[in-house]
Amino acid sequence: MKRFRRQTLTGLVALLLATAGTLWLYAHYCPRLPGYAFLTGWALLTVMLLLTFYNARKKLPFLPLGNSETWLQIHIYLGCFSVVLFLVHLKFHLPHGGFEITLAALFALVSGSGFFGLFFSRVLPRRLATRGGEVIFEKIPALRHGLRTAAEELALGPTAKSPAIGEFYLRRLVPFFAGPRDFWRHLAESRRTVTALLAELDDLHRTGSEAERATVDQLAALVRQKDGLDYHRALQLTLKLWLFVHIPLTYGLLIFTALHLALVFGFSGGAR
Amino acid sequence: MNGPQPAPDFDAQNYSRPNQNWTCGHACEGRACRSGPDAWGRCQATTECRPVLDLKPGETKGRWRCTRSGGACESGPLPDGTCCRPPFRCSPVPTLRVWRGRITLAVIAVALATLLLLAGNSPFRDRFLSPGELSHAHSGQIFAALAATNGLNPGCGACHIAGNAGPHGFVQAALRAEPAMFDLKALAAAQPGEPVAMDADCLKCHAGRNVHQANAPAISCTFCHAEHAGMVMAATTDASCNFCHGNPVTMAVARPPTVIHHFAGDHPQFRFITEKQSDPDTLKFNHALHLTGSTIPKLPGGTKLDCAYCHQPDAAGAFMRPVKFETSCRVCHSLQFDPETPLLTLPHGSRSAVAAFLHSLPKQYADLAAREQVADVDGFVRSKLTALQAQVGNGEDLEARVFFSNATTGPDRQVGTVSGASRAIFPGCAYCHEVKATAAGLAQITPPVIPEHWLAHAKFNHAKHAGITCAQCHDASHSHATADILLPAKETCATCHSPAGGVNDTCAECHTYHKPQMPQIAARD
Repeated sequence: MKRFRRQTLTGLVALLLATAGTLWLYAHYCPRLPGYAFLTGWALLTVMLLLTFYNARKKLPFLPLGNSETWLQIHIYLGCFSVVLFLVHLKFHLPHGGFEITLAALFALVSGSGFFGLFFSRVLPRRLATRGGEVIFEKIPALRHGLRTAAEELALGPTAKSPAIGEFYLRRLVPFFAGPRDFWRHLAESRRTVTALLAELDDLHRTGSEAERATVDQLAALVRQKDGLDYHRALQLTLKLWLFVHIPLTYGLLIFTALHLALVFGFSGGAR
Repeated sequence: MNGPQPAPDFDAQNYSRPNQNWTCGHACEGRACRSGPDAWGRCQATTECRPVLDLKPGETKGRWRCTRSGGACESGPLPDGTCCRPPFRCSPVPTLRVWRGRITLAVIAVALATLLLLAGNSPFRDRFLSPGELSHAHSGQIFAALAATNGLNPGCGACHIAGNAGPHGFVQAALRAEPAMFDLKALAAAQPGEPVAMDADCLKCHAGRNVHQANAPAISCTFCHAEHAGMVMAATTDASCNFCHGNPVTMAVARPPTVIHHFAGDHPQFRFITEKQSDPDTLKFNHALHLTGSTIPKLPGGTKLDCAYCHQPDAAGAFMRPVKFETSCRVCHSLQFDPETPLLTLPHGSRSAVAAFLHSLPKQYADLAAREQVADVDGFVRSKLTALQAQVGNGEDLEARVFFSNATTGPDRQVGTVSGASRAIFPGCAYCHEVKATAAGLAQITPPVIPEHWLAHAKFNHAKHAGITCAQCHDASHSHATADILLPAKETCATCHSPAGGVNDTCAECHTYHKPQMPQIAARD
């Protein structure tokens, strides 16, 4: 934790210093430097390539390029700095024209998804830690299958002798155990579904026999486990899904940037 | 073995490999196979054993033996040597990693396709690639027609060489750009206003820069005229002017070497004031007398003489038309040389015409009699000439008096009136004009010099100043001499044209860089 704080502090100080320096350079050189847009553009492209290289770095673990944690910290603070460079490159004006608007929109989407990812990676793991132990995302389908099998065994298995529990299982619990449920509700920390199910199980518990009560208690425990599993799935999936925007659009952005590079020099005053 | 070993309780059966592209189709049931799918997503499940053929010495057929780990199965291998238990195959499932890769490839494909479609040779290319709307002057059908006349591409190619080709042309033009795209040192060292290659494209239509100073440094057209910034090209800013006028080094060659940044600040006082210039006009006119004098009569309509009666704006309203005697002065100053004959007046505008008029005086009186339908024309002429001779003697005296006399030497000090039957008593040309005598004794009238524009290097528009009175800028009511230049001082203009006054005070508000005007687009043919 101490190391993390030190890294955060170092990163923030570096980011602030780089931002202040960039803004100073902008104020002093923007009006008087004809090549200002070219120079800031090159700087931004360099930063973008470094940011993209983080993804390549993860695919080349055998190369001695430093540990991934350091790369992630660099990626985060360089990403924030790239937004400053982007605004300075645009001279704090909105872009015009179809191509430039598309390019700026791609940059905004990549940056925005990055900030969302940063936010999720800071918030969601804490929430996950409050709901049960560690669950490996890839094992969730198998665990869910196990819970469903166990619940089915309790409600409909050879030892089950309660028609009420069997009927309740078929009517209410089969859809619940069939697959992942309530993605958005789990993200919003809503427990409405599981609370309703547990309330109905509680009714069964009150009206059931001693044997039925034991079965209902076991079913309630399975429902809670399944709900916890769905919760983990929803949050862990969110932690992975933002990359579905961030990474593909990064490559789209790089393609548009390559054409932008050719356009700005090809259509510059000095083009021959 | 080197390296870390798995823990004793490591469950190799259910080991998840998030960095692999495929997972076993049975994983969701908690029964993933040990080997998992291969890199291409194919199930690698095999039979439980690979039977071995046991051949005893002398046997040719032999017997297949089950080699299943954990003990042979009850049924044993089939007669053909295959395992009796079919493999438990699955349909491997792609991981999120695979989906992410597929989406990435799709985005790359869409991006490339979009760019090829729109940046290729599509009809939308120019609009898609343009970084902003072009001005009216450089877009539309009229520009396209003129560009075609000059052999230019009506689209981007009119100004940008890269616009004449497809994407390969962009790259070629980019690689040939000056400064070079990868030469960061040259890009950083580029100076503002330096002429660039594209200026030649501007000059294909705009023939010559035609700058206001012959020794002005060559400046790129684009330094002042920014395109792609809207349908109306933005006015040149002070920053463009200050590039030279705000630079002491550049302005060191100027006479005087004046550095200017703002009109209200360091803009010099107008030269007619600093050099104490005076109006060179020889015409004698007293503004104060005409505007405030108690002897000035009212105009025929009963209105008081004011500035607007003599100073009329031109059609555009920008400048005042030159004051004309016939329209402004004759109403009071009728050039009536014969006190007894108000209907006969001298012509104005030409000394020789006046002389000819005087030389033909009997005919002029006869014409007047005819116009007035006098029955006895000869008698009328005779009586008039007799009366005139009684005052001036002979014709030479009359001519000398007409040309050379002024109010103090004339017969009557009442030189202008609109009241009564007798309008004005003519005091002589010299009352208003500078009249000199030639060696032969003839009168020579110095032509009046009335400039249409006073500050020749500045623009002005009276119509835009209609909200203020004439006297706020022109102190005519205190001017007694023609030599007074009745223009306002810089401070008067700066009252409004300054940040404090709130009215535009940019250089371009009054000045133009190209003199007298940038030539319009000219068709070559």
